[in-house]
Amino acid sequence: MDTNTYDAIVVGTGVSGGWAAKELTEKGLKTLVLDRGPMVKHGDYPTAMKAPWELPYGDAPTREDIARHPIHTRPSFYGITQSTKHWFVDDIDNPYEETKPFDWFRGYHVGGRSLMWGRQSYRFSPMDFEANGKEGVGVDWPIRYDDLAPWYDYVEHFIGVSGNTDHLAQLPDGDFLPPMELNCVEKDFRGKLDAKLNRKLIIGRTANLSAPLKHDQSPQRGTCQYRNLCMRGCPFGGYFSSNSSTLPSAERTGNMTMVTNAIVYEMIYDDKKGKATGVRVLDAETGHQTDYFGRIIFLCASTFGTSHILLNSVSSRFPNGFGNDSGEVGHNIMDHLFGSGAHALVDGHEDRYYFGRRPNGFYIPRYRNIGGDKRDYLRGYGFQGGASRADWTRLADTDAIGADLKKAAEKPGPWSIGMMGFGEMLPSHKNKVTLDRNRKDKYGLPVLNFDAAHQENELRMAKDIIADAMEMLNAAGYRNVESFVTPANVGAGIHEMGTARMGRDPKTSVLNAWNQMHACKNVFITDGSAMASSACQNPSLTYMALTARAANHAVEELKRGNV
Amino acid sequence: MNRREWLKSMSALAVGVIAGPSLLAVAEAHAASQKPGAAPGFFTAAQLALIGAVADIIIPRTDTPGAVDAGVPRFIDQMFKDVYTPQEQKRYVTSMAAFDTAGGKPFLQLDEAQRKALVMKLHAQAIAAPASATLPPATTFVLMSKKLTMLGFFLSEPGCTQVLQYSPVPGAFKADIPLAEAGNGKAWAVETDLKI
Repeated sequence: MDTNTYDAIVVGTGVSGGWAAKELTEKGLKTLVLDRGPMVKHGDYPTAMKAPWELPYGDAPTREDIARHPIHTRPSFYGITQSTKHWFVDDIDNPYEETKPFDWFRGYHVGGRSLMWGRQSYRFSPMDFEANGKEGVGVDWPIRYDDLAPWYDYVEHFIGVSGNTDHLAQLPDGDFLPPMELNCVEKDFRGKLDAKLNRKLIIGRTANLSAPLKHDQSPQRGTCQYRNLCMRGCPFGGYFSSNSSTLPSAERTGNMTMVTNAIVYEMIYDDKKGKATGVRVLDAETGHQTDYFGRIIFLCASTFGTSHILLNSVSSRFPNGFGNDSGEVGHNIMDHLFGSGAHALVDGHEDRYYFGRRPNGFYIPRYRNIGGDKRDYLRGYGFQGGASRADWTRLADTDAIGADLKKAAEKPGPWSIGMMGFGEMLPSHKNKVTLDRNRKDKYGLPVLNFDAAHQENELRMAKDIIADAMEMLNAAGYRNVESFVTPANVGAGIHEMGTARMGRDPKTSVLNAWNQMHACKNVFITDGSAMASSACQNPSLTYMALTARAANHAVEELKRGNV
Repeated sequence: MNRREWLKSMSALAVGVIAGPSLLAVAEAHAASQKPGAAPGFFTAAQLALIGAVADIIIPRTDTPGAVDAGVPRFIDQMFKDVYTPQEQKRYVTSMAAFDTAGGKPFLQLDEAQRKALVMKLHAQAIAAPASATLPPATTFVLMSKKLTMLGFFLSEPGCTQVLQYSPVPGAFKADIPLAEAGNGKAWAVETDLKI
């Protein structure tokens, strides 16, 4: 047993797991870090430097690629291309069930989805932490903005977030690197929105280094090269991923042991101690089973990865799943409303252009149900978008052909602008994921079954998202304003969360104010599972802040002998 | 339109072609490509020669390389071999057969001026037709070939670097500058495609 025993175990290496690994190892804990997929070392990004002509098939997926990824090639998905398909799971080998359709993006490798994430990094605001309690929705967050603010500072400083100081109560400012710039059409739109509708448009806040980090702890991180190929992995270390940022820090401590291809399928619980003592692991390649032991366990396996482990860990103490006295494990799935918005053509500005490919866009922070605004639904949404000039594809349906076609293609096309809403989804016990013990995957593990749908509040909000997008583009005087709706199910926002929520009452929540299981104090869950509400901001930064805060608390509690 | 939508729009083309000439052509193409000694690919040598001749009219060599220089016929062959669906394959091959008879004799037996005139005429018909119209198969072939040629050419090295401009590692971002100061002032080969 000794060889498999550590101070701490971290399950998963995405944004949360990477942070748990860094914090726990830096505080001196011998830490075992497990990932269910293969190793991806920083720099090990096979397509990162490929030019368009070096990718086969114009980067399109082949019929075979599509046959292996029937889920990941749905309309709301992206990533099954020659340049990034290796970061996404094979749907045939990794099935799940859909009582109601559910879009589940997955990448099983070290770094997880931190490699492919959208990098938009926003704080939740005081309003977001208060809303559940005020409105009697779900459970009240057991923390407030002030509890998390120093930890937002801490993670922003370390990962590097480019952004502008905007002084907006609904979107607190942070410890930013210089903001990226808006292009001429985006600036035009900002001015008109402000003048005509009194709405704010800001440059997106993104975890790309617009300038060197303000610390010297990540020598492998370089500034953004403006290639906009982040999803392939960045050999320059220009954006935050676990691979480029937190895991190298953890490794440098000498306290990390990483085991890859390690599928955690069960928690080990000691009834007498009333504690978790370890985890059971299946080797993804050999099927070999190993037990690992630790004094504290951080579950950062991604929202549904963690749900799977908890629901699959049944004992006499936890007949309904590990730590599931409340019956809320797997319930209260949230995501963000995703896939609809509007776009328009913008006349003029033909003598203006840009240099470099900005991996970022503009953001219109939430304005609904704030101050005097009152809608027939709760909460609100933000918009993410951008403006650019049309490329050569615009010429296909024109009369340009031959030498004229080449000549016309040399000129940048007209400007267009587009934006999409990200709307808050309320927690509901009805939206759930369960384990189907009658259907097993290739590892012999039961598969998850999703049963979640947008409800009345979301459906009302969805109408407003489209109407507002149209209204704003029309107010700006742009041409051919059209709405779009991408077919998208819950999950399409890739912001799934809520299935082991934090709360004050063990009867209605799974975790306490420190992301610590009410029913098992040496288990901490800091991935999206922990969220009590979704706000409408991209959530990864909040997962990171919660993780760093929980890790600090866990080590203090270890020292006090409380866990 | 992003790349994915563009590729998808291939499938939206020309439903009317299904009533066009023989499925036999498809069968023949497949049979030919399966013969031992045949070059690996989707099209027969004759089909590939026709595709090349059409691509050369759509994007000719000028003071910069053209579609054939850029390897577009091979690109189109690979796309049909591994990317497009059987339905898309059938649509293209059957419309190609119709196109091959549209000039009175086989396309490759026309002289250069006749070939160009035919492609230009059919292209003009395709562009003039309302978006909702069902195009005749020969016209469909020209429009599909145009899209495929553009895709292959503007993703090729000569297309990206000599007709458009390409910067593999810009190293900086300038959001709002005069067109003339954005590199050499030509369109960027890779437009900013916001991924959120």
